Amino acid sequence: MKTILVVDDDKNLRRLYKAELEAEGYRVVLAENGLEALEVVSREIPDLVLMDIRMPEMDGLEALAHALKKHGRIPILLNSAYSSYQDNFLAWAAEGYLIKSSDLEPLKQKIREVFASQPAFDQK
Amino acid sequence: MVTDSASASSAWFRACIDGFMKGSRMEHGSTSNERRIADLTILYEVSCALQNTLEEDKILYMILVGLTHGRGLGFNRAFILLTDPVEHTLKGRLAIGPSSPEEASSIWMELRDKYRSLGELLQQVPHTAIKRDLRVNQIVSRLRVPLSDTEHCLLQILRSRMPDEASGGVFKARGLAVDPRTVEILGSADFAATPLFHGEHDFGLLLADNFITHAPIEPDSLRLLQIYAQAASTAIHNASLYRLLRERVVQCETSNRTLRESQQRLLHAERLSIIGKMAALLAHEIRTPLVAIGGFARKLLRATDEADPRRDDLKIIVEEVRRLELLIGEVLGFSKVSKLDMESTDIGDLVRSVIASMAETLEKASVKAVVHIDPRLPTAMADKFQLKQALINLIVNAVDAMPSGGTLTVTALSEGEYLEIGIVDTGVGIAQEHWSKLFAPFFTTKASGTGLGLAIVSQVIESHKGSLRFESIPGQGTSFHIRLARNPAIEEIEEAAPADVTTKGLLP
Repeated sequence: MKTILVVDDDKNLRRLYKAELEAEGYRVVLAENGLEALEVVSREIPDLVLMDIRMPEMDGLEALAHALKKHGRIPILLNSAYSSYQDNFLAWAAEGYLIKSSDLEPLKQKIREVFASQPAFDQK
Repeated sequence: MVTDSASASSAWFRACIDGFMKGSRMEHGSTSNERRIADLTILYEVSCALQNTLEEDKILYMILVGLTHGRGLGFNRAFILLTDPVEHTLKGRLAIGPSSPEEASSIWMELRDKYRSLGELLQQVPHTAIKRDLRVNQIVSRLRVPLSDTEHCLLQILRSRMPDEASGGVFKARGLAVDPRTVEILGSADFAATPLFHGEHDFGLLLADNFITHAPIEPDSLRLLQIYAQAASTAIHNASLYRLLRERVVQCETSNRTLRESQQRLLHAERLSIIGKMAALLAHEIRTPLVAIGGFARKLLRATDEADPRRDDLKIIVEEVRRLELLIGEVLGFSKVSKLDMESTDIGDLVRSVIASMAETLEKASVKAVVHIDPRLPTAMADKFQLKQALINLIVNAVDAMPSGGTLTVTALSEGEYLEIGIVDTGVGIAQEHWSKLFAPFFTTKASGTGLGLAIVSQVIESHKGSLRFESIPGQGTSFHIRLARNPAIEEIEEAAPADVTTKGLLP
């Protein structure tokens, strides 16, 4: 079973993403901000990270940079209410950039694509 | 208006008649004391009138009226010549008087019974009266002497600042012949000439004659003319100062108005910008709860039995949330975000400032910096901050590539519509197997690097629509060349619609 780390400071969205992704057959772990996300990653490397960008303590881009630097190849999907961060060079390193929407189908589709294209991540 | 000018012209003729009928102004007083009083009265009246006027044309006209009026100096005709500093010429400007004895007598006879005093006439000079005497004004406009013609008799009088009287074509005091052209234009070889000057400025000349009556010009008349010319000079000088002042005041008023207007525009723009920012902020803030509302509504909808009437209620929530999300996407679409802060940039200055800011780093690493900037380097549209960051990153890499010191050459050259910045080191070079990954984020060969330096450089140059190339010979050094268009075509970046998904090329 693939493990997805969902990082979002909004508790309603954490609950929504957890429910929806578990329904898709994934195991979901949660973090409230970038710092917590790094703690989780240091214990257990997830198969994919769904990361919000604007968060207190540590934002998603900074967490992404730290995580990639330390652990290398973790696919990270940025998921933000803002589209402007797409211009940020840090966002380039992400596997994808999604604008938050109540329609979670594009998100689920993207996750499936990432797992399909990178079977290497399964051999953990 | 026609009536005004006609009456002013006729006023002049009336005045002439007065002078003519009485023979000469000498008859004003039979004793020398009375005459002196009359002279002083004329000067007083003219000075008063001149002091109350600051319009240049009107002043010139009044000076001429004073010269020709029967109660004034009583000449038949009078001409003003002024120096034109632009054309470097002494030019006839304005004249007054009849052009022939026939013209004079017909009007004189008609108006002999009507009369106005000099003071009254001067105070009532209408603007339209100026240049009404067409023929004399045609004559005056032909009087032109280049200031370079220093030997010209009129210029000699102007320079000497002393009046003179021409009689039979010879200036009496100087024994100087009047040039034939002036005699031909005036149609007379007998006239008085007096210079107009104030302080260091020689303005021009007053010419006056008795073309109709052929009355001789008295020595006293010449002296009075000299005094009169001084009052006239002061008036002309004041008028020119006044005109200068008016121009400055208008300039000040214009710049004040421009300043006020731009201040208001700025305030308005600021207000709009704040509204735009608030709208964007609000839209972003609303997006998150909408995702929760709509997301859970979709979840509930899926879990609800097809026959359940609550499905329709849930569908309304789902659709309304979707509608709001699209609306927000549109709002954010309006608040376009410019990716770059482009401004006209002196690339040479930028390069120099980067080198200066890194002087300590270079020195510590025993790196000698050689800077060559094309002296004719034009400015280019660029985001100063970003470009500076890119140059710093390239120089840091160059320095790191020279652990035991070396030479860093930075060049900035102009190539038509393009500029090329070169950063060349004499370092260890880049191994060929690393070339393909050089610009990928987080790729680094350094022990303590982030792997973002060249990625940033690459992004900055790409967003400037420029190009970046490098050459490297292991063991000899590396060179990076940035090519920038002076005026790159940068479009504004629009906020993407919601549900927009982008994927970027990834990890090495």
